[in-house]
Amino acid sequence: MSKGGCLSAVYVIQGPNVTLPRPLTLSWVSRIVRAAPPAVDVGRRASNLCGINVEASPLERIKALNAIPFFFDVFAYGAIFVLVVLGLGVIASLMGIFNFAHGEFVLLGAYTVYWFDRSGMPVWLGMLAAPLVVGLVGLILERVAIRRFYAAPIVAMLGTYAIGLALREFVRSLLGGQFYSVVAPAVGSFDIGGVSISKWRTAVIVITLLVMVLSFLLLTRSKFGLQVRAALENPALARASGIATSRVYAITFAFGAALAGLAGALMVPIYALSADMGVPFLIKSFLAVLLGGMGSFEGSILGAALVGGTSAALPWAIKPVVADVVVFLIAIAIVKVRPEGLMSKRRS
Amino acid sequence: MSKQDSKKPQSESRREFLHRSGALAGMTALGAGSFLYNPTEARAADAIKVGIATDLTGPISWGGVPNSNVAKMVIDDLNAAGGLLGRPLQMVLEDTATNEQLAVTKVRKLVTQDKVDVVFGGITSSMRNAIKDTIVNRGKTLYLYPQLYEGKECTPFLYCTGPTPAQQCDTFIPWLIKNGGKKFYLPSADYVWPHTLNAYARKVIEKNGGEVVGEEYFPVDHNEYSATVNKIMSLGVNNVFNTTIPPGVAALFKQLYEAGFQKKGGRLSCVFYDENALSITPAHEIEGLATCLDFFHDAKDPGGTKIRAQYDKLYSAGKTQFTAGTAATGMWRAINLWAVAVKDAKSVKREEVAKALENAKLADGPGGPSEIVPGKRHTKMNMYIAVVKSGKYEVVEKSNGLVDPREC
Repeated sequence: MSKGGCLSAVYVIQGPNVTLPRPLTLSWVSRIVRAAPPAVDVGRRASNLCGINVEASPLERIKALNAIPFFFDVFAYGAIFVLVVLGLGVIASLMGIFNFAHGEFVLLGAYTVYWFDRSGMPVWLGMLAAPLVVGLVGLILERVAIRRFYAAPIVAMLGTYAIGLALREFVRSLLGGQFYSVVAPAVGSFDIGGVSISKWRTAVIVITLLVMVLSFLLLTRSKFGLQVRAALENPALARASGIATSRVYAITFAFGAALAGLAGALMVPIYALSADMGVPFLIKSFLAVLLGGMGSFEGSILGAALVGGTSAALPWAIKPVVADVVVFLIAIAIVKVRPEGLMSKRRS
Repeated sequence: MSKQDSKKPQSESRREFLHRSGALAGMTALGAGSFLYNPTEARAADAIKVGIATDLTGPISWGGVPNSNVAKMVIDDLNAAGGLLGRPLQMVLEDTATNEQLAVTKVRKLVTQDKVDVVFGGITSSMRNAIKDTIVNRGKTLYLYPQLYEGKECTPFLYCTGPTPAQQCDTFIPWLIKNGGKKFYLPSADYVWPHTLNAYARKVIEKNGGEVVGEEYFPVDHNEYSATVNKIMSLGVNNVFNTTIPPGVAALFKQLYEAGFQKKGGRLSCVFYDENALSITPAHEIEGLATCLDFFHDAKDPGGTKIRAQYDKLYSAGKTQFTAGTAATGMWRAINLWAVAVKDAKSVKREEVAKALENAKLADGPGGPSEIVPGKRHTKMNMYIAVVKSGKYEVVEKSNGLVDPREC
């Protein structure tokens, strides 16, 4: 049996009768893939095309190429990223604060769900409660600490980092350093054309779209959104016009924190709950905000979709360890070309 | 005279005062330790100092906390039995906080300031590599490392009491081929343990007629595995021999489950998975997962059962159970083997204890008896293969006698 062309760089296969990769004509996926150099070495030939028999019919090939899981994966991971970045983007773009405790707000949201689950209450109830709990934590933190940082963004980074570290180690002590699972409200998967699609990941995509639209409407169409934008654009004038800017900042921060809490709550059934669960998302989330453009809420979402999407897509074509670096390289290249970000509407 | 002038002499004299008091403090501190007392005489009268350096905080605290618990339990037991050589044991605990740079400072304190007679600890290989030189070479102190690891640690005066790749793979992989199939996929975290273990596993797989159709490395905090799961499914892989680590491993196992890997007859395996790891994923996602370790609760060996009961009684409030994957079993063995050697050597001197350790044996312990392989500084022990059934391990095979670590 011969094996033809995709994903050749990613894995190696041993066997005496492996032919060289054959070009594929299917979708841009294969195009990325063909661009990657095949990992062929002595005695060990690169396999390709995900082990697909090239003698198979075109229809079978399409199925075997797994276009469905590929796009589903890109959307699902992109959605999780958007969800995480939403809160960070709100705080960064509307308040100019890079919240380094964002990963820990995500963690607190996840912990809330876990706590509900262990207390015998339904998981979905925990998911509803998580944004409220984390929003409240955010509100308290803003009143106690964050509001002192507005004048000094660099100090704010360090200050929020310290807060994050304290929160993370606190949760670690609660968990005893262990990892815990939470079962999703929707378990298992359904089949599309013989491909298994995770129910919960689908739900996350739908919820993310909803939250995205609602947040956008809130910030652009509501009175509160107007106050937020006014308070950012010209605090003095906003105050003169009767807007309690300090209160607006507090609510905005709490809103951003609540979004992070929701992200954590929806994520925890996909990942294990552990004190470090927010950490891998933090740096890439900042990258997403920079990529989208500071000062633009829509930009952050676009940036998140891009970073999340490429993070999920690249391992289909190249080694995951390399993919992680390439995501950053692509983002840095874009920021170099468009230093103001993809959708900069700096409101100043 | 201006204000400035009048201030100058005052500030100089203050600085001098600080200098002098600093020097005095330094001399007092150093003097008490190294000049006033003769260390040998001073130590003869007091306790044998046992240094424990482990990660009580930070990401590896899942292992460090049970390690320090077990150390305290064993040292208390030894003291209750009259100590060693008529001297009590004093445990000096240092938290290495999952931070190698900090750890070097902490173990330096153990060997130079506390002057411990032996050091136990370290969970990760990076930690062992960071602290071993300070302990063994510069500190001239004996070091025992308790965790399962990738092997190849042959530093003199460093003894390993956890399982090696040979112990975890030699019987396990043939079992996997028999109970899963011949096609293996090795998803792995990108650090030393998976790389070295996989190299060994690959040899055993191929020797037994299996084949490795994929070996893939991910950043240690990776959490998105769709591309890999898709490859595993389309290649018709029988065995996923996993070395990705928590928390990312949860995402991998979930995605494999959702893709129907086990439902279609695939076998999941992971050699660090123990009873504590069962909480990482919901039980149904790892049904049928196989692992190979030196102790399982279900092994029901009398020694292990007794130790676990004692541990549970003392630390029932804690979140971590007494298991093999946390290095708790290795820590139990390490301290007890060292105690046997001290009694045998009638000394705590490094060279003499090391010589006695070469033939140190324990008649019982977690998983059964164990003994150091002479000249190899590694430990022979029983190995068990266990499979997850409804969220619990069932031991399906026990090694035929003590398994050789085949190191050094």
